[in-house]
Amino acid sequence: MSEAVDRETYSAARVRALESLLIEKGLITGETVDKVLEFFEKDMGPFNGAKIVAKAWVDPEFKQRLLDDTPSAIAEMSFPRGMAGAEGEHMKAVANEPGVHNLIVCTMCSCYPWPVLGLPPYWFKDPTFRARAIREPRKVLQEFGLDIPESTEVRVWDTSAQIRWFVVPERPEGTEGWSEDQLAAVISPEAMQGAAKVVIPT
Amino acid sequence: MKLQHFIGGLEGLEPSSFEKRVFVQPWEERIFGIHVAMMALSNHLEVNQTVPTNFKSFWTWGHLRTGAENMNPFDYFKYRYYEKWLGGISGFFVDSGYVSKDELDAKTAAYLEKLDAPLPEGGEPAIDEQVIEYLRVGDSPKCDVPVQPKFKVGDVVTVRNPPPADHCKLPGYLRTKQGVVEEVYEGAYNYYFPTGDGVGDPMPIYNVKFDSHSIWSNFTEPSTAIYVQIFEGYLEDPA
Repeated sequence: MSEAVDRETYSAARVRALESLLIEKGLITGETVDKVLEFFEKDMGPFNGAKIVAKAWVDPEFKQRLLDDTPSAIAEMSFPRGMAGAEGEHMKAVANEPGVHNLIVCTMCSCYPWPVLGLPPYWFKDPTFRARAIREPRKVLQEFGLDIPESTEVRVWDTSAQIRWFVVPERPEGTEGWSEDQLAAVISPEAMQGAAKVVIPT
Repeated sequence: MKLQHFIGGLEGLEPSSFEKRVFVQPWEERIFGIHVAMMALSNHLEVNQTVPTNFKSFWTWGHLRTGAENMNPFDYFKYRYYEKWLGGISGFFVDSGYVSKDELDAKTAAYLEKLDAPLPEGGEPAIDEQVIEYLRVGDSPKCDVPVQPKFKVGDVVTVRNPPPADHCKLPGYLRTKQGVVEEVYEGAYNYYFPTGDGVGDPMPIYNVKFDSHSIWSNFTEPSTAIYVQIFEGYLEDPA
């Protein structure tokens, strides 16, 4: 690689060269990568998790079923086939409540519940976050804009085996009477990993 | 030891970035899609015996991780997430003989001349059908074999300290520490291949709770509990 070639430009050319050769040699097709990306835009993404959390907020019995047996509760909802698909084969939900805050981290890499949250954002994959969140979660969360008092227990979930976790955050005040669709629209991926609160846009 | 296994708890770091994007460069999407296709077309999935792809290898998360864990640890931290994927995956295709280094270099040079030159078109639609089907079905590690868990809820367990292997599913900071079994997951879970340090065959998985002070003494925060899902092969009775 020439010093004159910028690192990102080189990577862009390299991956395009690789994809091109894999297509030419019949390993994948000219559309494979686009179809994967489209699947994460339309079928597998945080929009699914937001619907699940919104339903849990308006239906306490559903919420209990979600915490007791996450896959069965999700299967009650009318999602496209695939909610127990790749990286969602064994998912578990945990709920924030007064006195308890949950934070999900994968200290070894980037395990993430794809069907309900889509793909992990960079903060979750950052080695610095992975190093610090497990030992000083409140400090990290404070830097992210979330104050968790010492009187609240912090539960940090390190996903190193086969279970993929997500958080049912606390429902914000001022959302009484909202529909599930309205609620789902304000629920972020960060809130469903315990890295943010759900806030209502002002 | 391998530094890659011991990231959890490292001191002396700056605040981490709250970058919410999944991909920070457009090219990163492409290597992600290639990795998904490789997992979907892996030869350990029975369905692929009839899928008309020329990809004939065994490829899983475990293979991607083995590559990352075997990098020079100082290099590991020099590269962004998908840069490591690009290096590991293109290295795999060269080492496995699917493409030669020369043709990859030549094609790279050609795209450097004209980055928006089109990709080849066409291919067998059945390949793409399998890739999407894999995303919908997954590749569950849960096995239908009877197992008798060694530990029960409430048991105190000690985390083993096996020597480093090619691949490891045990966060380094837990080695030799004691925790309490919170949940015994139903059934048995295998891993894609034997890691060389005790995991691979179908075995129970536990949710084990650790008090962060028992791991890091006072170098942590009050009222902090750590929950980790651990393969039975990494646990033993307290001596």
